[in-house]
Amino acid sequence: MTGKIALSAVVAAALLSLAACGGGDDPDATGGAVTLRYAMWDEVQKPPIEQSIREFEKAHPNIKVQIELNNWNDYWSKLQTQLAGRSGPDVFWDHVSYFPKFSKEGVLTDLAPLIARDKVDTSVYDSKLAEGWKVDGKVYGLPKDWDTIGLFYSTKALKEAGLTPADLDGLTWNPSDGGTFVKTLQKLTVDENGKHAGEAGFDPKKVKQYGLAMQAPTGQQDWWNFALQNGCALQDKPWGRWTIDQPACVQAIQFVQDLRLKYHVAVPATVTNPPNGPSLDQVVGRGEAATAMDGSWMLRAFDTALPGGGFGVADLPAGPVGKGSVYNGLTEAVYAGTKHPKEAWELLKWLTSERHQKAVAQAGAVWPGIPSLNDVFADAWKAKGVDVTGFKKAAEGTTMGYPLTEAADVYNVKALDIFNQVWLGQLSPQDAAQKITTEANAAIK
Amino acid sequence: MKKIPIKRIALYLALFAGAVVSVAPYLMTLNSAFKEPSQVLTTPAWEPAFPVTLENFAQVWSQYDMAGFLLHSLVYAGVVTAGQVVFSTMAAYAFGRMSFPGRDALFWGYLATMMVPQIVTLVPLFLIMREFGLIDTYLGLILPTAFGTPYGIFLVRQYFRTIPKDLESAARIDGAGTLTVLVRVLLPLSRPILATLATITFITTWNTLLWPLIVTNGDATRVVTLGISALKGQYSSQYHLILAAAALALLPLVVIFLLFQRHIVRSIALTGLK
Amino acid sequence: MTDNITSVHAVRGHRRAERRLATRVRVVAEAYALLAPSLAGFLLFLVAPIFGVAALSLFDWNLMGAPSFVGLDNYRELAADPEVWRAVLNTIYYVVLNIPAQTVLALLLALALNRRMRGGKVLRVVFVLPWMAMPVALGIIWSWVFDPRHGVVNQMLGLVRIDGPNWLTDPAWAMPVIASVNVWQYTGYTMLILLAGLQAIPHTLYEAAAIDGTTPVQRFFMITLPLLRPSLFFVLVTNTIGSFQIFDTVFVMTQGGPGGATDVLNFHIYQQGFQLFRSGYASALAMVLFALILLVTAAQFLYFRKRTVYDFS
Repeated sequence: MTGKIALSAVVAAALLSLAACGGGDDPDATGGAVTLRYAMWDEVQKPPIEQSIREFEKAHPNIKVQIELNNWNDYWSKLQTQLAGRSGPDVFWDHVSYFPKFSKEGVLTDLAPLIARDKVDTSVYDSKLAEGWKVDGKVYGLPKDWDTIGLFYSTKALKEAGLTPADLDGLTWNPSDGGTFVKTLQKLTVDENGKHAGEAGFDPKKVKQYGLAMQAPTGQQDWWNFALQNGCALQDKPWGRWTIDQPACVQAIQFVQDLRLKYHVAVPATVTNPPNGPSLDQVVGRGEAATAMDGSWMLRAFDTALPGGGFGVADLPAGPVGKGSVYNGLTEAVYAGTKHPKEAWELLKWLTSERHQKAVAQAGAVWPGIPSLNDVFADAWKAKGVDVTGFKKAAEGTTMGYPLTEAADVYNVKALDIFNQVWLGQLSPQDAAQKITTEANAAIK
Repeated sequence: MKKIPIKRIALYLALFAGAVVSVAPYLMTLNSAFKEPSQVLTTPAWEPAFPVTLENFAQVWSQYDMAGFLLHSLVYAGVVTAGQVVFSTMAAYAFGRMSFPGRDALFWGYLATMMVPQIVTLVPLFLIMREFGLIDTYLGLILPTAFGTPYGIFLVRQYFRTIPKDLESAARIDGAGTLTVLVRVLLPLSRPILATLATITFITTWNTLLWPLIVTNGDATRVVTLGISALKGQYSSQYHLILAAAALALLPLVVIFLLFQRHIVRSIALTGLK
Repeated sequence: MTDNITSVHAVRGHRRAERRLATRVRVVAEAYALLAPSLAGFLLFLVAPIFGVAALSLFDWNLMGAPSFVGLDNYRELAADPEVWRAVLNTIYYVVLNIPAQTVLALLLALALNRRMRGGKVLRVVFVLPWMAMPVALGIIWSWVFDPRHGVVNQMLGLVRIDGPNWLTDPAWAMPVIASVNVWQYTGYTMLILLAGLQAIPHTLYEAAAIDGTTPVQRFFMITLPLLRPSLFFVLVTNTIGSFQIFDTVFVMTQGGPGGATDVLNFHIYQQGFQLFRSGYASALAMVLFALILLVTAAQFLYFRKRTVYDFS
């Protein structure tokens, strides 16, 4: 027994010393080369990005890039903890909902002087996107990609209802009777007896397939779009106060609730509410819904669930004031506390260059931050038999950016539970709008 | 004697029902891992995989550094378990069978540290590790738990307290020192609990996500929980890969469990407490 | 020997006292030597961060800028926040749902599996499996199980013509579901510890009692329960401590919803600390949780001390 204890102590000591050797060697010590940490959260985009970065490394023999991939939740927890320790990654992906705090607290490097010095042509980016990342003349990131919302549909479900993809174009909705949008969704909603929604004898408790599926923790993929189409502005101005309690906004929220509870054409919130609800590619894939409102970043997921041309993308319907979609994008940002600002800027220039973004667009994960490359992305999907140009049209039409506000965090935390309750019918749209507006505005100093 | 079979059948039935509840989610996981990607999420999880495909496992293995992840986890969990068993046992002996000033206060201090959620200690701990220059090293990963945890100490202490004092006194009269008593008298009797502690520590460490997430950055220290978690997306996830990977990562745990379990069971015969 | 001279007595007594003191010093030194490694880890990696948290609870800090001292403001704010009180009650509710069920089930299982039986080994593995589950896979598993239409549970209920509730979106059901998921996950693990505890009970005791003509039930209360007390105590204390810190399941399944029905303290702490950038406030909340757990643990200690038949300390 003594022998065994001694043995395990020796083993422990040996492993500890072994562990001490592995990892953590100072990157700067390796022959003058600098190792940059590049943090991201989307696994799907990693392979093409990695490949392109290998090229970058070839062109810059003194720079090594370590890609750090973690999922969305882990990414932010880690980033925040590391920022507290002043040891963030040198270059990282930034999202609008975290941007306000980051820009205010000096987490991000102002790129404006560097852009001016190196004469980087920022006109290649869509100004609608790039503008959001500027504060008082400072530039806190360059566009990495963009996304809009579209109406994904199952080709099989469409065919079974006797509809063609063209029937989904030009639909309209209104707050009073739902318009042609609801009429079409009714055709796509079937109960177990084969009756359609709106038909006599339709049983809303035994629906086999719903016309539409919606799911959005913040509103980005569902009611924000209807809000825009109904003439509602979520804020009085960028960086301003929330104005969700305006009638046009409440009507939009009401419409989303009606799609579920009044018209019975949308998958009930008991199924789709986040966080436990299945993602919409699953919902459509398993035949529970014929269409889904979702972001362009979901293309790959839909392609997995409905492979071989099993799905297509149509435009969102038009509302009382016209068409419109939420238009958002990520940026590549440089950490203000980086020990290698020069190299980090070199990497950022590469990541936001045409060459790099083209390589990533070809993989078909996200639309490129440089709009002139949009066709590269569209062609990649055309080769798979999916027409994705609707997203592009949406981006070029009436759009609404992701709200820019100091209170983004408060809004995000509160919105999930509040709107989940609205979709369940546990809270009225009016009360919800009032509540979220008051609570989010209270956080604005 | 006639009654026994009925009781026995009832017992077996109850155990069987419990077993089904315990194992069903795993069967669904495993079943789904053998499905085509398009079917993983679109067909009911209990619907048998058809056609059966090994593609998900192959993809997980070839496309990601699964072998590396598993190895890093093995080092992490292995070292922590070894340290935990040795150091927790030592401390447990002191707490459970010796009397010294400050013992009870200290023991409460140990217990109290279990009551502060890790979510808030994460940032201070990260700052400490940064001061030591141990960010992104195995040492930084391992140190916080390798010296024994209040949990492990408490577990073994409780067990030590059930072992009658006269056994120890007898050895002491024979002139045995503390270390001899611990190693010769207590440890042979403590196999079940040490095996239990080892099992618990290994599995818990293997499944730990938060600390490795914060303290390690590079691929050289990436553990399996992080490797698999990265396959999760913000809105949709590559579940065909996640499920296959999770099934792969479970295997070593079952093996470890079976390995240690032998000690727990066999000791029935060994613990012939005089 | 009884009529020895007093002076000899005195000298001997003195020597004995000296020896006793030396022994005492040696024992204390040995005790701290045994403790040394764990003490080092304890002070550096457990105590120091906790002092950090305690200090942080007096600051306003968003993790990025400079912390600013606010005294007891965080505590004043949380005392006045109804959401905090709701979270406290939710946490207690969860613990009450979770701990008794888990402990009783685990004890029954441990008793059942402690005997030699056909398939015992396999069953032991099977019951511990849920606890080995890698957290990342659990989210999808629970959506398979609790989906109101396609989930296993409601499909099974459908077979016997029961319309199952909407488990996770029903405020009345969400917490019981969270609790049962954790019972599922931790019963096997708890059983494992109790099983190890059962091993420490000498067989001879049972044999002697059986000869005395006792019934199995009598033996359970006379031998098993008293001798299992240390293990049972451990399981209760640590599981309760862990239970008060419930987080993972809530994070994956409900994020505190619906309508705050599962907003437990630890989730609230996470939200404040990481989603709302309020590290100081989150630290103050953690101190409240700490106090709450300390109170309950102290009560458990008192209760068990009073009732412990065999106290070896």
